[in-house]
Amino acid sequence: MGILRLAHVDITATDLELAAAYYTQVLGMDLTERTEDRLFLKCWDERDHHSLAIRHATRVGLDRFAFRVEREADLAEFERRVEAYGYAVQRVPAGSEIGQGESIRFELPSGHEMELVHDVVKVGGRLPLVNPRLNPESLIGIAPPRIDHLLVHAEEVPEVARFMTDVLDFRLTEQLLDGQGHQVIAFLERAHKPHDIAFVQGPNGALHHFSFWLDDWDHVRRAADILAFNGVTIDIGPTRHGITRGNTIYFFDPMGTRNEVFTGGYRPDPDFPTITWTDDNAGRAIFYYEGVVNQRFATVHT
Amino acid sequence: MGILRLSHAEVRVPDLELALAYYTEVVGLIETARVDHRAYLKAWDEHQHHSLILASAPTYGLDSLGFKVETSDDLDELSARLSAAGVEPERHAAGRLGPGSGDTVRFVAPSGHTIDLVHGMDQVGNGLPLHNPPPAPDDLVGMHPPRIDHIFLMCEDVDGVTAFFRDVLGFRLTEQILADDGHQLVTFLERSHTPHDLAFITGPDGAFHHVAFWVDEWNDLRNGADLCAYHGVPIDAGPTRHGATRGCGLYFFDPAGNRNELYTGGYWFDPDDEPTTWTEAEMGRAIFTYRGQVDPEFMTVHS
Repeated sequence: MGILRLAHVDITATDLELAAAYYTQVLGMDLTERTEDRLFLKCWDERDHHSLAIRHATRVGLDRFAFRVEREADLAEFERRVEAYGYAVQRVPAGSEIGQGESIRFELPSGHEMELVHDVVKVGGRLPLVNPRLNPESLIGIAPPRIDHLLVHAEEVPEVARFMTDVLDFRLTEQLLDGQGHQVIAFLERAHKPHDIAFVQGPNGALHHFSFWLDDWDHVRRAADILAFNGVTIDIGPTRHGITRGNTIYFFDPMGTRNEVFTGGYRPDPDFPTITWTDDNAGRAIFYYEGVVNQRFATVHT
Repeated sequence: MGILRLSHAEVRVPDLELALAYYTEVVGLIETARVDHRAYLKAWDEHQHHSLILASAPTYGLDSLGFKVETSDDLDELSARLSAAGVEPERHAAGRLGPGSGDTVRFVAPSGHTIDLVHGMDQVGNGLPLHNPPPAPDDLVGMHPPRIDHIFLMCEDVDGVTAFFRDVLGFRLTEQILADDGHQLVTFLERSHTPHDLAFITGPDGAFHHVAFWVDEWNDLRNGADLCAYHGVPIDAGPTRHGATRGCGLYFFDPAGNRNELYTGGYWFDPDDEPTTWTEAEMGRAIFTYRGQVDPEFMTVHS
């Protein structure tokens, strides 16, 4: 019951051809559908129609992000709860969005449009369901098996974190407090991992990055090789986070949207105690090896 | 709601001191309590009091295993479902089944295994501070897996037992190996969105095939194999890879002959995902993909 995991991130791009080339050849995602102004992509091990949707626009940014709920009835329950909290909910009927059935959409206190969906078009993973091999043939690029999480900005992190926990039943795994004790980063999960979504202080509605899962650190190194070969701008890494304990590389798609590949972490139970990072340890919290946060990482967003 | 994940296993060992030395120094678990003829251990990143209990006994094998449930109401709900299915559970208040034990519903599954459903086990922390923690404690020894992962059991009627775990306890089937006549030889069941928390393989009722601990990386399996070789721990198989679960594993035996595994990899499983099926002809690849065949020892040796 309730929210299972991140389903898809919907971004905008100024050049769909460039985006398609990058996300299929360098990231190694599968293009599952293409319309005049949109691309739908999935990772090889994902069974849903898409985990990334890219809409052509004159500005690079974030349209919305969607989480999958366990049961259809969860949509009505969350619609009731979000409305009871005082926020408007839009029902998006089946047939109006590609790759999925009915959904609900609402605006978060951080200004982001969030969507909840249960009924998704299942296109299947690349492996058969009888006697599968271990990996599909002819994977190209980084080829992560699935999307993992996203990080977005919020002017008032405590306000949106409270909404996520009180209304949507997310659980706070870790937080960073500034010198005044004010929450400036909040990590929230539903899928029993360090985060499915995180909020960091910054402009409302902005996207910091979305991230793909890799199975181990060797794959992170291999991803760095592929990024370097293709001339992709690496923001930072391979390195490690204090928060989440994950291993990472950050890099930019050709239009400036930040991507990440991520592995590691831990498995928090729902009763996991929240870990707190203080201002004097902010560098290590974000980049454990460097101990400082680079200016670009702290300020560039889309 | 319902069962979250595997919580713990209670394993019999004839020589408690020997087993403790192995589990703390080679595997690298942490001893949290010892009472009478039982020792309680946890993996370093676990917050709960124990994930492995060693019970001194004249023989080896499995006494019981436990699953953690999300809320205390789940115990009542699952207890009612067990009764309705004709299995009479016993209820034990927190602390009654030993140090650290939570509120427990205990029953005997149709496979002959004693199973505990637990809520509220004592929480002892993972050895890291809750403020500005380093990624790991600095005094870990041996293989030091961060947590328990899954358990593999044997039973005579895999079809019937699998149906029981799905229908009564809400487990979901991720993969199965089918015999040519269509019956289930091996089934993989999950509650935690991983390839398996529990698996059954055809064999004697009540038998124990192995308990597995999670490691983060393939490199950890190589380090585990190094440690086995150095300490003279008999390696059963691996480091290798499974077709079923797509995980990577290393199997070895504790000094009493109970099989252990270090495991990594796998995938995320949604509750409505379709299971993967392996045919009898492909069973070798399903279990050990690289060799394409299963040693008779792996199929027959259990405790």
